[in-house]
Amino acid sequence: MLLSLVQWLQFTGFFTELRGSAYVYPIVMSLHMVGIALFGGMVLMTDLRLLGWAMRKRSIADVVNQFRVPKRWGLLLTVTCGFLMFGSKAEEYYYNAFFRTKLILLALVVVQELVFYRGVYANPAALDQAPSVPGSAKLAAALSLLLWTSIACCGRGIGYIEPPLDKIHAQLLPPSTYPRFTEPRSTQQGEIAPCCSSKPTP
Amino acid sequence: MLLIQTNAIADALNSSEWVFPITECFHIAAFAWSIGLIALVDFRLLGLGLKRETVSQVAKATAPWTLLGLAVVLLSGPVLFLSDPRMYLYNPSFRFKIGALAIAIIFNYTIHRKVALSESSSTAVRVLTGVVSLALWVSVVFGGLFIAFA
Repeated sequence: MLLSLVQWLQFTGFFTELRGSAYVYPIVMSLHMVGIALFGGMVLMTDLRLLGWAMRKRSIADVVNQFRVPKRWGLLLTVTCGFLMFGSKAEEYYYNAFFRTKLILLALVVVQELVFYRGVYANPAALDQAPSVPGSAKLAAALSLLLWTSIACCGRGIGYIEPPLDKIHAQLLPPSTYPRFTEPRSTQQGEIAPCCSSKPTP
Repeated sequence: MLLIQTNAIADALNSSEWVFPITECFHIAAFAWSIGLIALVDFRLLGLGLKRETVSQVAKATAPWTLLGLAVVLLSGPVLFLSDPRMYLYNPSFRFKIGALAIAIIFNYTIHRKVALSESSSTAVRVLTGVVSLALWVSVVFGGLFIAFA
């Protein structure tokens, strides 16, 4: 179900074009990186302020509220480019362990935001009134730093694994039903699959 | 040339499949921190956001963290480079990146710093500085990523 969805996605005209383009794909990746830099810088500064390590002369409310908008722009750029990268090789990503880990960590970030939203992010002015930064805010900041750094590392990890799609396909489907076979592929009995050219078996 | 192609770091990097990716993670996390913080100053220079702080306040608050990030980037970068110096040296994207990086760093600690710390520079100067700085750092990121595609 999910698998057929990602296969459909990657073979839509748009993503087929994107996958085939020599320059657009790396440009999208570069913009993903630029987004990460923007977003990462803002997250770092917000979290360091909450931890009480940076910008201590400015109020927490000032820092959190003012960084919110550029942070969202950075996230939007990163997520948009990330989705474009995923869409153009959706099936590979589907099988990629680092990508799966990354999605789980992203889900955890959402949980983290929801858990700490009321106590920390929604009302930073209250944090300023406390004599020192409350432990919950510090915990939120530490978790945020840890999760986002792990997400970035998992993202890099994606590029290191190439799931053996050919083997997976050979097990899942008879060769003739899958549209993308281009190379000769031996069946389990060692015969050449009927769909392909006549390259001799080794 | 042959000397740096066969070096202890290359041996360490190429003997374990984890060393290179982990070094790369440090490189990426640290560049996100440092360039993100520089971008913050640039946005303030452009008058986008953080308007309750003066430019110099933003610059001073981010400076030590930017420096820390840059230090990690500049330590992890050569480690990555030494894993396969010949490939990098002949890679046009790598050459472009190093050039842009050198200009960006020099710009950041001369003109950029001077304009950001001065409260009296004109809007035109600030905007120009912010735009040049953003353009330089974005070029570095693009150059770095295109190493894999060159």
